[in-house]
Amino acid sequence: MSYAYLFKYIIIGDTGVGKSCLLLQFTDKRFQPVHDLTIGVEFGARMITIDGKPIKLQIWDTAGQEAFRSITRSYYRGAAGALLVYDITRRETFNHLTTWLEDARQHSNSNMVIMLIGNKSDLDNRREVRREEGEAFAREHGLVFMETSAKTAINVEDAFINTAKVIYEKIQEGVFDINNEANGIKIGPQHSPTSPSGLTGTGGQGNTQGGGCC
Amino acid sequence: MEYFKSSLKSVLGSASVENEPSGADTVERLVDRLQSSTLLNDRRDACRALKALSRTYRVEVGAQGMDALRQILEMDRTDCEIIGLALDTLCNITSPKTFDEEVDKHGPNNKVGEQFTEIFIKNADSVGLVLALLEEFEFKVRWPAIKLLMHLSTNRLKDIQEIILVSPMGVSKLMDLLGDSREVIRNDVLLLLIQLTKGNANIQKIVAFENAFDRIFDVIAQEGNVEGGIVVEDCLLLMLNLLRGNISNQNFFKEGSYIQKLTPMFQISSEHDDNPLSTWSPQKVSNVHCMVQVIRALVAPSGPAQAVSNCQRIMRACGLLQALCNILMASGVPADVLTETINTVAEVIRGNSSNQEFLAEVMAPSNPPRPAIVVLLMSMVNEKQSFALRCSVLYCFQCFLYKNEMGQSQLIQTLLPQGNEVPSLTTGQLLCGGLFSSDSLSNWFSAVALSYALIEDNTQKEQLLRVLLATNIGKPPVTLMQQCVMLLQQGSKAQCKLGLLILLCRWTAHCLAAVKSFLLIDSSIAYLTALLSSQENNDDLQETLLQSMCAMLIGLCVHFNDNSISNYTKEKLCNLIENRIGLERFQDAIGGLARHEVYSRTLKHPQPSAKNPSELLLDHEFCRLSKTLEGVIIKSVLDGSSLHQKNEIATPILPDSVLITQYKDVIREQSSQIQKLNQLTESLVKEKNELEV
Ligand SMILES: Nc1nc2c(ncn2[C@@H]2O[C@H](COP(=O)(O)OP(=O)(O)OP(=O)(O)O)[C@@H](O)[C@H]2O)c(=O)[nH]1
Ligand SMILES: [Mg+2]
Repeated sequence: MSYAYLFKYIIIGDTGVGKSCLLLQFTDKRFQPVHDLTIGVEFGARMITIDGKPIKLQIWDTAGQEAFRSITRSYYRGAAGALLVYDITRRETFNHLTTWLEDARQHSNSNMVIMLIGNKSDLDNRREVRREEGEAFAREHGLVFMETSAKTAINVEDAFINTAKVIYEKIQEGVFDINNEANGIKIGPQHSPTSPSGLTGTGGQGNTQGGGCC
Repeated sequence: MEYFKSSLKSVLGSASVENEPSGADTVERLVDRLQSSTLLNDRRDACRALKALSRTYRVEVGAQGMDALRQILEMDRTDCEIIGLALDTLCNITSPKTFDEEVDKHGPNNKVGEQFTEIFIKNADSVGLVLALLEEFEFKVRWPAIKLLMHLSTNRLKDIQEIILVSPMGVSKLMDLLGDSREVIRNDVLLLLIQLTKGNANIQKIVAFENAFDRIFDVIAQEGNVEGGIVVEDCLLLMLNLLRGNISNQNFFKEGSYIQKLTPMFQISSEHDDNPLSTWSPQKVSNVHCMVQVIRALVAPSGPAQAVSNCQRIMRACGLLQALCNILMASGVPADVLTETINTVAEVIRGNSSNQEFLAEVMAPSNPPRPAIVVLLMSMVNEKQSFALRCSVLYCFQCFLYKNEMGQSQLIQTLLPQGNEVPSLTTGQLLCGGLFSSDSLSNWFSAVALSYALIEDNTQKEQLLRVLLATNIGKPPVTLMQQCVMLLQQGSKAQCKLGLLILLCRWTAHCLAAVKSFLLIDSSIAYLTALLSSQENNDDLQETLLQSMCAMLIGLCVHFNDNSISNYTKEKLCNLIENRIGLERFQDAIGGLARHEVYSRTLKHPQPSAKNPSELLLDHEFCRLSKTLEGVIIKSVLDGSSLHQKNEIATPILPDSVLITQYKDVIREQSSQIQKLNQLTESLVKEKNELEV
């Protein structure tokens, strides 16, 4: 299916916080109970709708392990959104957020939207980081915040979609230069201002016949 | 040039008047000046002279000047002139090729460039310095910086890949250069990226993330698509590097709707039909070869089933399969392009019922019009066609029937007696013709092709038993199976026999009725036992394969035997094996199959791997069959014989571990099948839902 916009995301954060699980829950609606260490990066994609417009999310799930840090840095530039994830049951993953944020700010374009995510909210009995702490950190650094569970799927959709909403608003406000692909945003083929068909919404109904797949 | 000479003279001073100074001396003085002079102009001159000497005196310049040159890259960054000269010099020093000027001193195949590369990159920052210089727009800096990276990575690929991965934005900087309006730069970066993406999944992914596919398609379009020059080929090679074996990138390619962008490239115009040679330049042939490889990278049978079937679906929906079929049916297409296109169509339809159906409906523009499949099979049984082309048709036919119950049954139908005479040529007739032709390759191809119609389909096995062939006038018709057995006994060519045995093994496996028919054929078993007990001939590959397959066929007759023929009950056959052949020899013969190199090679990939006709002995599907059944067959035979001699000496039975592994194999096979079916169901449901939306 064709899209109005395409956004590139990255997911970052310590190893084991549930980055790959969040992506899997979002793209496949599945949960993976075993920790399958990500090597390098893995790609995933899904279509969402915002303001009636189909938006394609292309998501790069990075490896949290220290050894892959320099590879991860190659993905900051060129991403429009980032999900910065920590694990509410492991305080050290929360403590590392400043390092992650510094890395992100240093290597990304200044408009990148960062969503802070406290994952594994289903494990409330093992909680080490209070929700208020997450909120405070987000407020202090100008991030959007949510607690999620990749296991029960709570807030997972919203985490990805709300990030897209913020990006979408920034586009409407003219903050993003949408013609610069290095910002991690692309305009859909049918939606570019130069195309004669203009902004005809193709959302939802009926696949177009030719390139009618995804 | 004059200026160059004079500057060289001024740098070298009056040295030439005295005793000829050695190259080393001159180099030493120049390096000294490069390092110590405080005047930029002076350093430039020294650098220029070093560059001039760096071919003839490569070893001297490299050994003494490496550090100084590195230092220039670091300290004189703002002066493009000297940086350019230093980079040029480093390029010469690290060049992977031997200069004519140095052959006398160091031989034609010296490793000087490689050794200096090693020295240069020992200091990890060196490569970072060069990468940083890529950001300089000035041509005389950027270009040699790219060339230097090319030399370094040619000499020490793995090291350079690792260094670039950890350099901040290393890959991104290179990707930016693809947009350079100066074609030389863009083209050389393309070559560098092809090099750097070789075998490194992490670099491949970053390159893809950096919009490589968009860039590549842009360049391809600018350069004239399939009609374009070598740059188009380079683009395609890079694309291939990014996709082959990289599931994450394949997924990205699919999700980014790039498959759809391939279609127009395959819409090869047939306007110039009057002069086919001009439309198929060698470059265009190379381009098409790369293009089909890109497609095959996405639908390779070794890929994850779900992803492959998604790509196949898109390829049909976006007209790519149609475009490929158009090439198949076009005139004037060079044979090797045709061959590769057939192999590609094969993988685009493999195991995908809609795509298989699509191919079944393609008509060739022949007179009268015939189904494309018929035309393809005509080529397969035609001795005049190239071997590679015939193999590709077999592969395509295999993929066409793979998990295609309908196609299998339609093929067998064409062989069964029909109410009214069928006027047109059918696939079944073609294969029968090939089966009994005098060309042993055609025999093999046809037998194996026919066996594909029987895979996992007992109905077709039983239907095929009904097929009758008319023989000489006045004689009663014989069954197809009788004719095969007769040919097996009378034929002289091993290749033909191997093909027939492949067919008979497939036919009898899991099918009691087929085993029964086989046993009822005069001297069928006698022939097999005779062949198996004949003089051992271990050196001859074809002979040993023949014996293995005979053993296999006898084993199948034991295992899938309903004891309805009193002469050949399980027990009697086992006795026969024991007395006429010997249990050990029988086991050796069956197990021996897996020990051949040709077996493991054939098992690895569904596509025939034979490079010439004499290598075409085994078939992929047959090898898989023997792999799954070998264990149970041996067990059946051993059980049968131990039953009969229960009270005699202890019989050798397979160690448990062997049996367990064999069972495990069977179970694994089955569970992978279940998994595949589940995935198929899933994707069908998904497809259905999508269609409903
Ligand atoms: N209970 C619970 N467990 C989770 C949740 N999300 C992830 N997990 C578990 O946490 C472990 C790690 O999850 P991953 O998604 O593989 O972690 P990651 O962040 O991708 O780790 P790296 O790839 O090494 O960076 C797995 O065992 C998951 O099952 C969650 O929301 N709740
Ligand atoms: Mg992970």
